[in-house]
Amino acid sequence: MNDRLTVPALYVASIGGAIVLSALLVSVTGGSAFAVFDALVDGSLRSPGAWGLTVTTMAPLLLVATGAIAATRAGLVNIGQEGQLLVGACFGAYLAVRLPGPGPLVLVATLLFAAVGGGLWAGIAALLKAWRNVPEVLTTLILTFVSFPLLTFGLRRRSLIGDRDTTRVNHINSGEQIPFDTRLPDLRIAGNQIDSAAILAVTVAAVAIYVLERTRLGARIDVLGLNPRAAQRFGVPQRPVAAGVLVASGCFAGVAGAVLLTGGTAGDRLSFGYSGNYGWDGLLVALLARNRVLVAIPMAFVFAALRTGSSFLATTGVDRKMTDVVQALLVLALLLPAAIEYVRRARGGRQPVAADRPGLGRRLAPVGGEVV
Amino acid sequence: MAGGAAVSVRGITKRYGDVVACDHIDLDLRGGEIHGILGENGAGKSTLMKILIGLVGPDEGRVEVNGRAESITDPQRAAALGIGMVHQHFSLVDELLVWENVVLGERGRLDRSAARSLVTTIGDRYGLGLDPDALVGDLTAGLRQRVEIVKCLRRDPAIVIFDEPTSVLTPQESEQLFAVLRIAVRDEDKAVALVSHKLDEILAATDVVSILRRGRVVDSMVTSAADARSLAQAMVGRPVSLRGSAMTLALGIIPDTVSDTTSDPGRGTAGHSGIGPDEPDPPTTTTSSAAPTTVRPALRIGNAVITRRGRVTLDHLTLDVYAGEIVGVAGVEGNGQADLVDLLSSLVALDDGLVEVDGVEVVSGRAGAMGAAGIALIPEDRHDSGCVLELSVAENLELSDLGRGRAFGRIDRAARCHHAERLIAEYAISCTGPDAPLASLSGGNQQRVVLARELSGHPRVLVAAQPTRGLDVGAIEFMGQRLRTAADNGIAVLLISSELEEILHLADRVVVIHAGRIRGDMRRAPAPEAAFDIDRLGLMMGGVVEAPEHV
Repeated sequence: MNDRLTVPALYVASIGGAIVLSALLVSVTGGSAFAVFDALVDGSLRSPGAWGLTVTTMAPLLLVATGAIAATRAGLVNIGQEGQLLVGACFGAYLAVRLPGPGPLVLVATLLFAAVGGGLWAGIAALLKAWRNVPEVLTTLILTFVSFPLLTFGLRRRSLIGDRDTTRVNHINSGEQIPFDTRLPDLRIAGNQIDSAAILAVTVAAVAIYVLERTRLGARIDVLGLNPRAAQRFGVPQRPVAAGVLVASGCFAGVAGAVLLTGGTAGDRLSFGYSGNYGWDGLLVALLARNRVLVAIPMAFVFAALRTGSSFLATTGVDRKMTDVVQALLVLALLLPAAIEYVRRARGGRQPVAADRPGLGRRLAPVGGEVV
Repeated sequence: MAGGAAVSVRGITKRYGDVVACDHIDLDLRGGEIHGILGENGAGKSTLMKILIGLVGPDEGRVEVNGRAESITDPQRAAALGIGMVHQHFSLVDELLVWENVVLGERGRLDRSAARSLVTTIGDRYGLGLDPDALVGDLTAGLRQRVEIVKCLRRDPAIVIFDEPTSVLTPQESEQLFAVLRIAVRDEDKAVALVSHKLDEILAATDVVSILRRGRVVDSMVTSAADARSLAQAMVGRPVSLRGSAMTLALGIIPDTVSDTTSDPGRGTAGHSGIGPDEPDPPTTTTSSAAPTTVRPALRIGNAVITRRGRVTLDHLTLDVYAGEIVGVAGVEGNGQADLVDLLSSLVALDDGLVEVDGVEVVSGRAGAMGAAGIALIPEDRHDSGCVLELSVAENLELSDLGRGRAFGRIDRAARCHHAERLIAEYAISCTGPDAPLASLSGGNQQRVVLARELSGHPRVLVAAQPTRGLDVGAIEFMGQRLRTAADNGIAVLLISSELEEILHLADRVVVIHAGRIRGDMRRAPAPEAAFDIDRLGLMMGGVVEAPEHV
C-alpha cells in the first residue's frame, strides 16, 4: 500500500495524462497542440472581452451545479437538469413577453416563474418518488427527453411560447424575442461585458454554501444523504425532505434556463435545442466538485472557458468538437483519482464474504415447527 | 490420535498493526476427529480459520495439508486442497431454491436434476433432511445452515471448519448439528474444526480441544480429560468461579441448579406476568435492585402487528417495560427482533396496536417520534441507523437534535464542540477530538459515541439490541455496567439479544420472542443462584413450548 501513489500525485498524473492524450489526438487529426491551446486561451481569457464572456457563460453552469449538489447531498441522483432548465426557460419565456409592468419587475418575475417551471418538472419526479418510491434517476432522465418535444409543441403554438409576430421571417418554430428591458443588465469591467447573472449565480452559490454547511437544514440534508435510516430515526423523514430538495434542485436549473434567456449567450428567443447542454455540463461540474459548492465555482469557470475557448478553434483548423473530447478527458482525469481511492479502500477494507455484517437475522425465517 | 494430520499449522503469525491476532500458532487437525477451537472474542480463532480458508494471508509460518506445505492464497485454492468452511453468517439467496443456492457459482451448464439429486444424496448421507425445491427464504435458521453445510460438503472436503455455527440456532438445533458433525467424522473420516467460545458445546461435541488466548494456543487436550473449570481457566487466563458468577454466564456454562419462577406454584401468578391481550400484572417481585417504582410501564407495546411483504413479523406482540428494570428479550435471530427494534427507532409503522411511553401514545413510523418521546436506542448494527460514519464525532453526538429547531437556524458550532468534549471525557471516548470523523474511531469507541448520545438525552426508555456484538471483553463489561446504571437511575431498559448468556447475565426479567410474539416471561429468582430455567427458555425460543398459563 505505502509504495503506491498518493492522492495529489494521482491528480497530477491523471490530468497530465489527459493533456498529453488530448495533444496526441489533436496531432493525429492534423492540428498543432500548441495552436489549439493558444486558441482555447485566446477564446476564453486573452482576447478582448473574452473573460467577461466566460464569466457570463459560467453563471447558468454554476446555478445548475448548485442545485445538483444539493440533490446529491440529500442522496438523490437528479440527472434531469437539462430538461428542468429547458422547462424553466419555457416558463420564463412565456411570462417575459406577456407580463406588463416595469422591466426589472418583469425580469424578477420571469426568473421566479422559471424557477417554478424547473421545480415543477423536477416535481413530477419528486412526486413519483414520494408516492411510489420511483427512482428519481430514471424519472428525471426520462422527463428530460419528454421536455424536448414539449418545447417543439409549445413553439408551434402562438398561445403558448411560439412567436406571436407572424410577420417575421423564420418565425416558425421559434420563440418570441425577450424585450430588452426585461433582460439582465451587463456590467462593464475593463472592456468586458459581464452579465449580472454571474453575480446572481455566485450569490446563490454562497447562500447554498451557508445553508448546506451552517444550518440545521444542511445537516438534515447531509444525514439524509449519508444514512437515510439514521435520518428517519432522528426526525428527518426521507420522502418529504428528499422530494423538497429534488424540487429545489429543479428550481435552480429553471433559473439557469431563464438566465440563458434574459442575459446569457444562448440567444434572446427560444428555439430547438435551446438548453445547449448547459444542464448536462452543469451536472458534470457538480460531479467534479464532489458535492462542494465552493469547488463548483472554479470548476464552472473551467467548463465555461472550454465553451468560450472552443469558438476560437476554427482558426486552427481543428474541429470544434475537439473541445468536447478534451472536456470528456478532463472529466475522466478528475474523477480517476477518486475512483482509484475508492477501489483501494474497498479492497483494503474487504471483509470475508460471509462473516462481515452481523444482522438481527433481517431475512431469516422464523424458527418453529421444525422436526426435532 | 495417531496417524498424520490432515492439516498442520506451524508457527502461523498474523499481525494487524500492533495487534498480534495469531502468535506462532501450532495446530493439527486429524481425520476422524472433531477438534474444538475454544477462545474468547478476539483470541485469534477467526483469523486462524480465515488463514486456513485463504481469506487472510499469514505473515509468518506455514500450513501443511497432508504433509505437504501449501500456500493457500484464496478460498478456491483451499477448496482444491479439500478445505471447506461453514461460515457463521449465511451467504444464501433468499429468492432462490435450495438446489439453486447449492450450485450457485458453478461454471458450465446447469444440470437441474443432478443438482437436486446431489442435495438429496448429501442430505441422506448426513441426515440433513432438506427439500431441494424449497425456497430458501422460507426456511428456518437451522435449515438454512443445512443448506450452507450441503454447499460445503458437496465438494467432499476432507477438512471442514465450522465457525461459531450455533450462534443462530436453538439449543435443540445445535444438538442436531452436532449429530451431523459426528456422522462426518465417524463415517467419512473427515477432519472437523469446531470454532466456538461456548464451553458447553465444546465439551459436548468435540474429541480434542485447543484453547486460544491472545493469539496463542495456551492449552490442548483430549476433551474427555477436560472439564469446564479447567477450560474456562485456560481460556481467560485466570481461575474462575463457575457457579452463579457473571463469568459463568458469559462463558455459556449452565449452573446445575436453576430455578424457574414460572413453575413455582407459590409464586406463579405474582411473579409471572401473563401474556396475550389481557392486562399483565404489574410486577410485584422482591428482586432488590430492579424493583419497579411505578405501576404504569415506562414503555408499553400493545398488540403490535407489523406485516412486511405479506409476512407477519410482529404478531400481536405485547410487552411492558417498567422504569428501573432490565427486560431481556431472548430468542433466535429472525423472530421479529429486527422489526421490534425498527418499530422503536421510528423506522417502521405499526399495522395495528400501539406504543406508549409513560402512558402517552407515540405515533409509530413518524420520523423521530420515538426518540422525541424518550426512547433511546442502541441499534445492533450501529452503522445501520445509529451513527453516520462520514460525519464528525461532535455531529454524531448531536444527531438526536437533528429534527428539532428551525430548519434555517444556524448551528452553533462552538456549543456543539463544547458538548462533544464533555461527552468524550465522560464516556472516555478515545478519538483525536470532536472534529474527528467517526469512521476514524475503533468499533468500541463508535459504540461509546452512540451510547453517550443516547444516554445524554435523559431518556425514559433505553433499548439495546445486541449491544455487545463484536466488542472485546472490556467493552462488553463497560456496556453491561452502563445498562445496569441506566436501570438503577430509573430508566426502563429493554435488552434484545440472541446471546442467551448476555441476557441471563444482565436481565431482571426475561421474555422470549418467537415468530413475532412474546412467548414467555421469567423473572430472576431471588434464590442465591439467581438464574433462569435455561432448558425451558431454549424450548420457548424454538417455539416448542409456550408459557404455562398461556396454552
